Amino acid sequence: MSKAQDGQDKDAMIDPLRMWREWFVKSEKTWSDALTDIMGDDRFSKGMGRYMQEALHTHRMFSESMAQYLANLNIPSRADILDLGDRLGQIEDALASIQIELRAQRARLASLGSGAPAAADGDSERKPSRTKRPPPRDA
Amino acid sequence: MKRATAKQKTLPAKPQIRDDELESRVKHVVSRTLSRNIPGLPQLDTELDVGPTPKEVVYTKLTSRLYHYKPLVDEIYRVPVLIVMSPVARGYILDLAKGQSLVEYLLLQGHDVYMIDWMPPRREHASVTLSDLVETIIAECIEQIRADSGEPDVTLIGYCMGGVLAAMYTALEPDGPVKNLACFTTPVNSEGMVLYKKWVEAKAFDIDMLVDQLGNIPSDMVNASIQVLRPLQQSANEMKLLNNVDNDAFVKAHLRFSRWAADQLAVPGEVARELVKEFLRGNKLVKKEYRIGNRLVDLGKIRVPFLHVAAEYDHIVPPAASRDLVALIGSKDKQEIVVKGGHVSLVAGGNAVYRLWPQLDRWLAERGI
Repeated sequence: MSKAQDGQDKDAMIDPLRMWREWFVKSEKTWSDALTDIMGDDRFSKGMGRYMQEALHTHRMFSESMAQYLANLNIPSRADILDLGDRLGQIEDALASIQIELRAQRARLASLGSGAPAAADGDSERKPSRTKRPPPRDA
Repeated sequence: MKRATAKQKTLPAKPQIRDDELESRVKHVVSRTLSRNIPGLPQLDTELDVGPTPKEVVYTKLTSRLYHYKPLVDEIYRVPVLIVMSPVARGYILDLAKGQSLVEYLLLQGHDVYMIDWMPPRREHASVTLSDLVETIIAECIEQIRADSGEPDVTLIGYCMGGVLAAMYTALEPDGPVKNLACFTTPVNSEGMVLYKKWVEAKAFDIDMLVDQLGNIPSDMVNASIQVLRPLQQSANEMKLLNNVDNDAFVKAHLRFSRWAADQLAVPGEVARELVKEFLRGNKLVKKEYRIGNRLVDLGKIRVPFLHVAAEYDHIVPPAASRDLVALIGSKDKQEIVVKGGHVSLVAGGNAVYRLWPQLDRWLAERGI
């Protein structure tokens, strides 16, 4: 046994938590498979479906009552925050479209030889040639 | 008195430090002191440099973004490559870090790489359908690439559900611009997705109620539905992290992966409804009954060179769910590569650079001229 191995074994001996963790990592797949077998059972599937329905029902009741409550307190609800997020997303989309359009216009102008810079970042839009061939099979 | 005044005049002016400069200096000193004294602390930086390969957005519509990665070599293959990401996963898994990036690897081998990445759907996107993704977004992205590159042909690569979208498009446009098609771990047979199939077939599972009430399927729910396929894997990964906490490279890679794994996307409601009813319950892709818009998707109509890459230990798309794909495709030039690894490590793991990437490069190179 090499010295390095010897050292590792000693470390393992004095660190039971590490040994346990290593055992857990090695046996994880077996435990996971056992759990997924249980979850694949018909009764589990039915139970999960029912739980989901109940959770959705509760979610609806709670969000409706909370929305009214928050509105009375003049506090934004989650839906209000999502509205803001949606509007920010729309602005981001619009900015991306403008950026794309500007790049296209710049490329068009450059191709017309108007002297406009090819790229905003000063990077010349030198396109690589599309002539590459695959290397020989035995290379 | 006069001498004293002269002395005062020769004194250098006291440097004025701006508040923001002072703040940044203090931050620097504190962070340097902590980094020197607590090993591994820099790895906890949340600003990990994911998606580092330079790119630009060339198209956007609904939840999609089309990136064009800037070429890294002077000579490239004629046919541009379009990667279609899964609509439930972030595209940066294929460009995780410098040296751990499929995109960077392909660019260095001389491929012109584009990618359709998906953004989190907003409430207005709840009505987006699979037809929008396939017939509108992929079709328009390909047109954009053809205009951008000046080439009539495109090679499509789809990852996971992105592979389903890419295969659907190619089947609907058999005489279209797709020159080659490669799919990674692409599910086609829902009988192979045992747990999902069991759950969605239970009468108590009401997808209509779920979509009608929530609009989009939240990312937490998507994440949970993936985690549940191997419930203790995340805990095991944390154990591995503890066992390797003094290995900086391991810690950094682990944090990048775990952040991506937790960063799943919400799914547009109508897409989820369709996937549950048509794909999971109906298994219509295999039965050749799947309709996109008014058109029937027959994978047998695909005649272009085809490559399927599957992972031996994939628990998300098990081989039983993907292996029928090769048989369903009508191409004469078709090939399947089964690589050791899981669903994600297949394309982005430390060994992908030896196992998969060179084989993919060779396949693309021979068909990209």
